[in-house]
Formats: sequence, structure tokens, C-alpha cells
Amino acid sequence: MKAFGWKQVALTVAAFGFVALTLIAVGVMPGEAAMELVRGSMGTKNAWNETLKLTTPLLIAGLAVFIALRAGLFNIGAEGQLLVGGLCGTVVALNVEGVLGTVLACLAGLVAGGLWALPAGLIKAYRNGHEVITTIMLNNIAAALVAGLVAGPLRQEGMSTSTEVVAESTWLPSLYENVPFRLNIALVGALLLVWGVAVWIKRTVAGYELSATGANPKAAATAGVEVKRVTVRAMTVSGALSGLAGAVQVLAYEHNFYVGFSSGFGFDALGVALLAGGSPWGAIPSALLFGALSKGTTSIQVLGVPKGLSGILLGVIIIVFAAYRYRRVKSHD
Amino acid sequence: MTDAWVWLLVVNTVTLSSPLVLAALGGLCSERSGVINIALEGLMLTAACVTATVGVVTGSALLGLAAGVGAAIVMSLLHALLTQAFSIDHIVSGMAINALAIGGTNFLAKSLADVSQEKAPVFDVKLYWALAIVAVVWIAFYLGRTRGGLHLTAVGNDPDKSRQMGLDPVKVRYLALVGTGVLAGLAGTLILSNAQSFSDGMTGGRGFIALAALILGGWRPWHALGACVLFGLFSALQIQLQGQPILGLDVPSDAWTALPYLVTIIALAGFLGRNRPPSGLGRP
Repeated sequence: MKAFGWKQVALTVAAFGFVALTLIAVGVMPGEAAMELVRGSMGTKNAWNETLKLTTPLLIAGLAVFIALRAGLFNIGAEGQLLVGGLCGTVVALNVEGVLGTVLACLAGLVAGGLWALPAGLIKAYRNGHEVITTIMLNNIAAALVAGLVAGPLRQEGMSTSTEVVAESTWLPSLYENVPFRLNIALVGALLLVWGVAVWIKRTVAGYELSATGANPKAAATAGVEVKRVTVRAMTVSGALSGLAGAVQVLAYEHNFYVGFSSGFGFDALGVALLAGGSPWGAIPSALLFGALSKGTTSIQVLGVPKGLSGILLGVIIIVFAAYRYRRVKSHD
Repeated sequence: MTDAWVWLLVVNTVTLSSPLVLAALGGLCSERSGVINIALEGLMLTAACVTATVGVVTGSALLGLAAGVGAAIVMSLLHALLTQAFSIDHIVSGMAINALAIGGTNFLAKSLADVSQEKAPVFDVKLYWALAIVAVVWIAFYLGRTRGGLHLTAVGNDPDKSRQMGLDPVKVRYLALVGTGVLAGLAGTLILSNAQSFSDGMTGGRGFIALAALILGGWRPWHALGACVLFGLFSALQIQLQGQPILGLDVPSDAWTALPYLVTIIALAGFLGRNRPPSGLGRP
């Protein structure tokens, strides 16, 4: 079978044609917009700094969603897990100073995110309740919870919706500085995490069970894989990594927690994971693309393009990529 | 607990549950035909935005409504096209449509006319309340008592067997998704009618709550109606009890906000009835 057919090509042309037309409708030439998008995200040192800053949480949360997807689960709850992880990481870093604080804050993020995803995994495995709905509900509860805590017990004096800034000794440092460009150690850590996930999936029994369950749960069960436990494990590990993304975001870049702390990283993470394809390594270019798009669509607003362009692009990219990818999967049969 | 308080509770419950009822029925059309539909949220948002834009530009409530529902039908058919013709995973397609709707409505509302500043001409919400009841009665009758309804259920339960019966599942699903577009579109225009002007993300996740109500109601029209009213009641209580101490305790408003979502999770855990989706859900 061919890798793709005329249908996919037609869809691609229609999708990007649609984006071009929406741009022309607001009086911006598509070429000009594309140039500004590239210049705004990768044209200057400052642009690179911002793009890589956005890439870090996208990469970690993208890996999280990737792991769930590998087991055939859609973790739409990455956003909520990231918020809970970020808040718990902040609380720990506010109380413990130094490197110990950094390590404990990361652990707190992992545990909080994992626990937040656990109900979705349990309900999916044992009560057959769809994980998409449970994780969306958990997102809403997480948003209400962190809003309540940040406006109440954890509020910084004089501020309405943010916590105190964590001690500088707990911050994740920059490895390389060429102001305004800074390369934070968090991005390097995220890259190492990609390697870790790749090894986990390729070289361990747990990772193999994960892929087997995702590919065909019935066959996996017949082969002796405890599918229910794998489902719960996949969801929990996925949640833990999302939570870690939140904690790292606090320690590396934000240094405190506030309402609106995540600009929808958890949702973009789903796009990152989908575009990563079959390997965790794919998450690196995919996270970079989403980071660049996120930064680029902010700077493109000076041309008079509404920020909604990022949503349109996200939808179009997912549709086009999914249309080709499914075709490839099918042609293996 | 005065009469006025109870009456307000009833009115708030009806106001808050009616968009859920229309959206849940929209989801029912789609899911009973075998198409998982998390795009309800996007369809509603699209309808609300297009209705506001066309309403503000033309000054006609009818044109606004027609355009809004039409736009929701187009988006719903896009979901049908992607899942049926391109075999894209139903959840992925739904996510993509939601992303398109969130971005596209922001784009439309900011570019053509700044509609968020102006009140759009809308129909009285009581019209929608009546429509919601009619829709429940009609869909319950259609699914259980007519040939078309049985075909829809057959396709949703077992697409392979329905093919052997001589049905074309893909065709049935396209028609079902037109129904989804109409109902979710009406839900979106109702939300606009309640608010009178468009704002970004104004559907506020109610498409997902409607989907949860559909699941809680076991994919049956009357049960789904019950679940929607239950969720509406919770939200109405949240509005009216906010800031009042319960049993001597001050309950923060964020706890009330989270309550309907918590109930949904408990429902999904199967503690409030069984979870039995149409057996052909998500299959080609």
C-alpha cells in the first residue's frame, strides 16, 4: 500500500489553504505571517530564549501524554496534573531551602501529579469509565483547587492570586548565559528524561507491557499481561511526569505559583505527544515546534492577527498529521 | 427557605440545565451511531460565536440562529469526515475540532467585528426550553419506535452486523452527525441567549459536562435529561449557597465550583448506575 493517497494530500491542501484564507481575511499575507512567525520564535537571542523556555514544560508534559498514549490512553488531564504538581512543588520549595529543597520539590511534583491522575486510571481499569471525561473533570477540579489555595491559605501578602517567591537557593540554575539568552538546566534534564523514557519503553518489561496493552489489550491479556494494572500504572506515571513539569516550571522559570501559571501547556502537550509519533525521541522536535508556535503566535499579534491563530494551527496540524499517520499504521497490516 | 428562594432555584436549574440537555442529546445522536464525540464543546462555542457575529452584523436574531446552527453542522460534519473517511481516532479528531473552535472563534470575534462589545439580537430562552423538551420526546420516540432510529442503534451497536443487514454505517453516521450539529448548535445559541454577548470560551466546558450527563444517563434520552437536570441543580445550588455557611462552616466558592465535576467523577466510577456504552462505539 502507498504511504498516503490523494485524500490525504487534498486534506493537507484544504487545511493549510484554510489557514491562509483566514489570514488573508484579516488583511495579512500568509507569507508575511509565516516570516514573522519564524522571526518571532527563532529570529533573535531573546526569541530563542522564550521559545526554549516554553519548550521545556511542553517536552516533559508531552512525554507524560506520550506514555499514556503508548498504553492506548488519552491523558487530557496533563493540565490539571501540571497545576497540582506545580503548586505542591512550590509549597515544598517554600519550606525547604537549598538543593535538598529542589530535589524534594521535584519529588512532590511527581507524587502530586501521579496521585491526581490515579483516579482516572483506576476508573478506566476497574469501572470502564472513559479516561477522557474523568481527566477533563479532574482538570476542572484542579483549577478550582489551586485557585482556592492561592487566593486563600497560600496567598502572598499584598497579592491576590500568587504565592510567595521560593528561596533562590532552590532555583534550577542556568547552564549557559549570553543575556538575554539563558539555557536552563531544566531543558537538559528534560532531554535526559526523553532518553530515560526511551530506555524504559524499549528495554524493560514494564515498558514492553505498556506498548503491548496499547497495541492490542486483548492480545496482551492473552499473553499474560495484567492489562488493568498496566492501565493504572501508565496513567499514574503519565500524571507524575506532568506534575514534574509543573514543579520544574516553578523551580526553573517562574519561582512562584499563581493563577494562570500554565498557558495551557497540558493541552498543547497532547499535540506534542501526537506529533511525536511512535518514539519518545519524536517529542523533542515536536515540543520545539509547539514552543516556537506558541512564542511566534504571540509576536505575530503585532501584525493584527488575533491570538486564536495558535488554536487554529494546533487543530490543523493535529488533523493533517493524524490523517497521514493512521494511513501508515494501517499499511503495516 | 422562602418560596421566592425555591422559585429562584427552579428557574436557575432550568436555565443551567437546558443547554446541557440540548448538548447531551446532540452527543446521544453521535454516540448511539458509534461516533465518540468530545467535540460538543467546540460545536457549541462555534455556534455561539457565529450567532453573535451574524446577529450583530445583520441585526436579525433568525439569521444569527440559522448561521450559528449551520456552522455547528459544518463542524460536526468535519468530525464525521475525519473519523469516517480518514479513519482518524475519534478522540484525536474531537480534540482537533475543539482546538479549531477555540482558536477560530477568537479569530472571528476579534477580526470581523468586535462582537464581544455588543449585545447580539437573540430569541427568548423560553423558546429553547420548549425545544429541549420537544427534542427529548422526539428522540426517545425516534430511537425506540421508528425504522431510522433502529438503524441508528444497529449501526452503533454492531457496525459489521448492520453492514450485513444492508445498511451503510458511514451514511447513517453522517446523518446522525447532522443531528448532533443541530442540537449542539442550539445549545450554543442558547448559551449566547443567556449571556447576550459573546466572550472567549464562554461555553466553559459545558460540552464535557453534557457528555458526562449522557454517560451517566446510560446513553438514553430520558435518563440523560435527568442527569442534566441534576447537574443543573448542583450549579444552581452553587450560585445560591455561595458565601453562606453550611452547618456553621464557611465553604469557599471554589469548592462549590468543583462540586459538579466531583459528582461527575463519582458517576463515572459507576457508583451512580452502570456504565454501558453502545458496543460499537469508536469502531470503523
